[in-house]
Amino acid sequence: MYGGGEVPSPAEESSLVRMEKILGAILLSGVLASVSLIAAGYLWRWLRTGQLQLEYALPGSNLYQFWVNDMRQAVQGTFRPRLLINLGIALLMATPYARVFFSFVHFAFVQKNLKYSFFTLFVFGGLTYSLFF
Amino acid sequence: MLSFPFLLMVSLAAGFVGAMSGMGGGVVLIPVLTFVGLDIKRAIAASIVSVIASSSGAASAYVRDGITNVKVGMFLEIFTMVGAWTGALITLSINERTLYILFGAILFVCWGALWIRQNRPHRSSVQDRFSRWLELEGHYFDKATGEEVSYKAIRAYWGGPLMFLAGITSGLLGIGAGAVKVLIHDLVMELPPKVSTTTSNLIIGVTALAGTSVYLSKRLIDPLIAGPVILGVVAGALAGTRVLVHLKNETVRKFFLLVLAVLGAEMIVRGWRGA
Repeated sequence: MYGGGEVPSPAEESSLVRMEKILGAILLSGVLASVSLIAAGYLWRWLRTGQLQLEYALPGSNLYQFWVNDMRQAVQGTFRPRLLINLGIALLMATPYARVFFSFVHFAFVQKNLKYSFFTLFVFGGLTYSLFF
Repeated sequence: MLSFPFLLMVSLAAGFVGAMSGMGGGVVLIPVLTFVGLDIKRAIAASIVSVIASSSGAASAYVRDGITNVKVGMFLEIFTMVGAWTGALITLSINERTLYILFGAILFVCWGALWIRQNRPHRSSVQDRFSRWLELEGHYFDKATGEEVSYKAIRAYWGGPLMFLAGITSGLLGIGAGAVKVLIHDLVMELPPKVSTTTSNLIIGVTALAGTSVYLSKRLIDPLIAGPVILGVVAGALAGTRVLVHLKNETVRKFFLLVLAVLGAEMIVRGWRGA
């Protein structure tokens, strides 16, 4: 197990490199998908009504309710411009959350690094708690 | 005044300038949005959502290139996350005039950070036991010099608590506070400049998310503003990063020192006069 401050072995190094590649992919795909959804929502609105202005409030009184609300509407298939924009914003907020979760999984189950499993779990727990503020 | 095209253009410009300076779009976006009449708390809330987008976009490339030190980031996130909650809660409880003055003061701190950073060469000291226990060392290939750079971070016992203050700044003012984070990495933990900047980008995403959750719960995130701001800041940051490679560092630095000083003074004056 690598976790005592010693120099990492080549296997641990390559595992860390793999983790970095996956973290990069999570962040990039999250941001790209989010921006695409928001842009698609506005484009749809503009094609349908000829204007871009949209006045509404985000659903839910915390991040968890906001996500659940959006997912429920998406599953029900009630797609409209504002849902795409909401999904984009929700996905953007979920991106760092997913990155922290993946980091925890990697440190805990692949690298078996107790210290960093604890650190990432703490941050993941904190972010999860803040979903219900 | 706050039409979609206007918000998009302002955010584009803020993202562009923010990426060129490495400080993110919030430091420009918030003063401009408040200047055209938006309530400062709503401007802060919109900005902090866009910070997630710009920092995550930038971090994705740096992490894949192996420059970011993921362990440094993971350790320091513990402190910035708690700091961001604290900062956002302070914002909700203080009046607008104080926020304007605080924002202006932080811009001057960023001004100082930018000034100090550019005038200080990177040093390398002996690693302390706590930082060694945290495994805060690494190496990366520097494409500019063609060399492999190895380094060891130090004074993590100071880096953590100071990052709590950086997190407060971020949550309080809706900015990435990259300048403050980078300064802590540079001066306190003695990370090489590239590792320092890229690791700061990774941390900013989680810090901003922590702040966002507080603002969302108070219904301060308005999709009417957040939508175009996210699109504009991301597009501006992409363009700014591309232009940056063609400009001289000194030109960018002088330009941004001027921008920070003007915006900082303007925010303090507005706070003093009652916005």
